[in-house]
Amino acid sequence: MERLWPVEISPRAKYLRTFWAELARTHSHLLWLGLLADAFGFESMFLQFWRIRERVLDLLEMTAGHRVIPSVNIIGGVRRDITPEQKKVIIDTLDIIRKESDELVKVVTRDYTVRKRTVGIGVVTKEQAIHLGCVGPVLRASGVREDVRLTKYDAYGDLNYEPVVETAGDCYARTLVRARELFQSIDLQLEALSKLPEGEIAAKVKGNPPANEAIMRVEAPRGELFYYAKGNGTRNLERMKIRTPTFANLPSLLVMLPGCELADVPVIVLSIDPCICCMER
Amino acid sequence: MPLMLPTILKNLFTGYATRLYPAQVREPFENARGHIRFNEDKCIMCGVCALRCPSASITVEKKKNELTFYPARCIVCEVCIHACPSDAIDLIFKWRAPFYEKPVEIHKSTRITQLRETTEAAKEGEPSKEDK
Repeated sequence: MERLWPVEISPRAKYLRTFWAELARTHSHLLWLGLLADAFGFESMFLQFWRIRERVLDLLEMTAGHRVIPSVNIIGGVRRDITPEQKKVIIDTLDIIRKESDELVKVVTRDYTVRKRTVGIGVVTKEQAIHLGCVGPVLRASGVREDVRLTKYDAYGDLNYEPVVETAGDCYARTLVRARELFQSIDLQLEALSKLPEGEIAAKVKGNPPANEAIMRVEAPRGELFYYAKGNGTRNLERMKIRTPTFANLPSLLVMLPGCELADVPVIVLSIDPCICCMER
Repeated sequence: MPLMLPTILKNLFTGYATRLYPAQVREPFENARGHIRFNEDKCIMCGVCALRCPSASITVEKKKNELTFYPARCIVCEVCIHACPSDAIDLIFKWRAPFYEKPVEIHKSTRITQLRETTEAAKEGEPSKEDK
């Protein structure tokens, strides 16, 4: 929305937005790893991952106000700030999270039963992935080095970021991509917090949106999220379109599902990380 | 099985993973978005909160000096708090208790009531004041 005016936001707001985006990504990937375990029936692993997720939810509640939906972005910047005491608690908690999830991710990636149920299941080749328009971890697990964070929006230009790419294209590759992204996002958060500049957190924005149109692409945990906004000078927007990543990943099921066994269906559908309300858009 | 063994042994011998609710309760953090409270002595009945509320849970009737608030619809997004020009809305960090029937809160602004009473008293004190 800020591109409509256009308004320049302060560096501190950019870093804070990046921090909250990566925290949401940590939360989403931990949730997904738990659901993956649930899809095989590995219930104890499911709840172990969600136990770690509780720490992330506590962090979100401490900084942003609510456990799942941070609701912290406003036009011009962010709504809340992070105090130095909170920063210390965040850094300690992130280290604990990294240690605990390291033990569990080792099980998910190396266990014989988990590999038997994910390796070779639901294969999407590189050409098929590009042709069907997949986004996010599904695309990166098929060998395509594509990530919206490479366009260096917000503070990603200053952070040390390299996309995680696997080439196999099956469910196991998607698991590996998301597990490595989990650790990468913890590293990115720690880096963003250590480089947090001083400054104000929100720029003043006056007046109605001008008659202008703007496009923004953001990397959500599930893929590329696309926004299009068009203002017309009054208080209400003329047009707003949001294309969610899960909706773009649905056609890949067309090549993944035919020919598989019935027990593999939950694992395959889960590997594109479905979010029902996003698909319903 | 061997890979999960350290986790299983640790879970067997350390204490509970969860809090023994309701014996132990964790209070929400101070920054948490619990619920909204209206201050009747600061509200000026301008209606900006009702305009901005995304879930339409506030209705303001200026002439009757009434603000109707439906807590069940409120999503605690804080837009009304930032929009209020007289800082009349507070964010309380504790969550609401569950309820059986959906409550409705009706607030009357004491500031406007006092203002109207003083203008009424002033008008009666000068009966000769007529329209221009």
